[in-house]
Amino acid sequence: MDCPIRTDENTDWLLEYSAGRLDREHAALMARHVQTCQECARFVEGQQRVWNALSQWGVDPVSAGFDRRLYRAIDAQPVSWKDRIFRPLQPFWRRAIPLAAACLLIVVGVVLHAPQATLTPAASQAAVEKNEAEQVERTLDDMQMLRELEMTPKQEENTSKSL
Amino acid sequence: MGASVALDCDAELMLRVKDGDGASFSLLLGKYRASVCHFLYRMVQDQAVSEELAQEVFLRVYKSRETYEATAKFTTWLYRIATHLALNWLRDERNERRQERLDQGTEDTPVREVPDRVPSVEQQMVHALKVEEVRHAVASLPDKQRAAVLMHKYEEMEYSQIAKVLSCSESAVKSLLFRAYETLRVRLAHMA
Repeated sequence: MDCPIRTDENTDWLLEYSAGRLDREHAALMARHVQTCQECARFVEGQQRVWNALSQWGVDPVSAGFDRRLYRAIDAQPVSWKDRIFRPLQPFWRRAIPLAAACLLIVVGVVLHAPQATLTPAASQAAVEKNEAEQVERTLDDMQMLRELEMTPKQEENTSKSL
Repeated sequence: MGASVALDCDAELMLRVKDGDGASFSLLLGKYRASVCHFLYRMVQDQAVSEELAQEVFLRVYKSRETYEATAKFTTWLYRIATHLALNWLRDERNERRQERLDQGTEDTPVREVPDRVPSVEQQMVHALKVEEVRHAVASLPDKQRAAVLMHKYEEMEYSQIAKVLSCSESAVKSLLFRAYETLRVRLAHMA
């Protein structure tokens, strides 16, 4: 393999190799190279020293009241009017939305598959003709009734004169 | 494979938080509380400030739950917030007084000891001095290099994830890390 330091390529391999994090295949390549390259050997030695030094830097555990303080801060957050209204309804909406979608699907299905009540052109023509005939008949009846009404007073007048 | 399982798990928890599940937030907090606090402590090197910033990180996570989209690894998002806050704090607080406080804080800073046996006073002092040197060496790094080293060394993040956290290219991260470790190799050369 080419020297990572001289070619400035795969320098990350050198870092990972020094940290013991390089995969087995590349680590074997690197190990062979380091055996023959003094520059890389020096680099690895120095890097391992840094790695070990950094490992000694421990930290204190998180303070006991961390969560309590955080939840207090969360509780102190102002709640928007939207949250006030919709937050309690959220569990309901979560269940209601799929239910509403299912109902909608059923309604659409019923509408699409229900027998159509539309009239064919011939049937509608017949219906119009029937309507017209009925209207004419009703008009004639009305005229007949009017005529009878007009005749009735005259007949009554004649009857009284003859008496 | 493990990483993708972890991704799904954390992102799923966060999506539950989005749906109003407080228990999922507690799980995420329990999982990442320590690592976020430790990362921030090593960034700002002040226990009180690091916890304050960590509080802000988790508060922002909680406040952003409504707009959360599982487009990236949860930890990338989490460390992005943490790094952003730490870099801002370092920028704002970089003044002489803070430098003095950092120098004076040497004696007050407790050092964690995890030995097999009880170390002698001399061993404790040697260790404390070493840790102090490491602390100063890390503190001397430019902010972005420091963040990259801490994520690489202590959080064991991959280059691609560090790149996403720092909003830069993977090659830029490689370059940042190479330069940072170069500085540390020089500064810590005498340490066995």
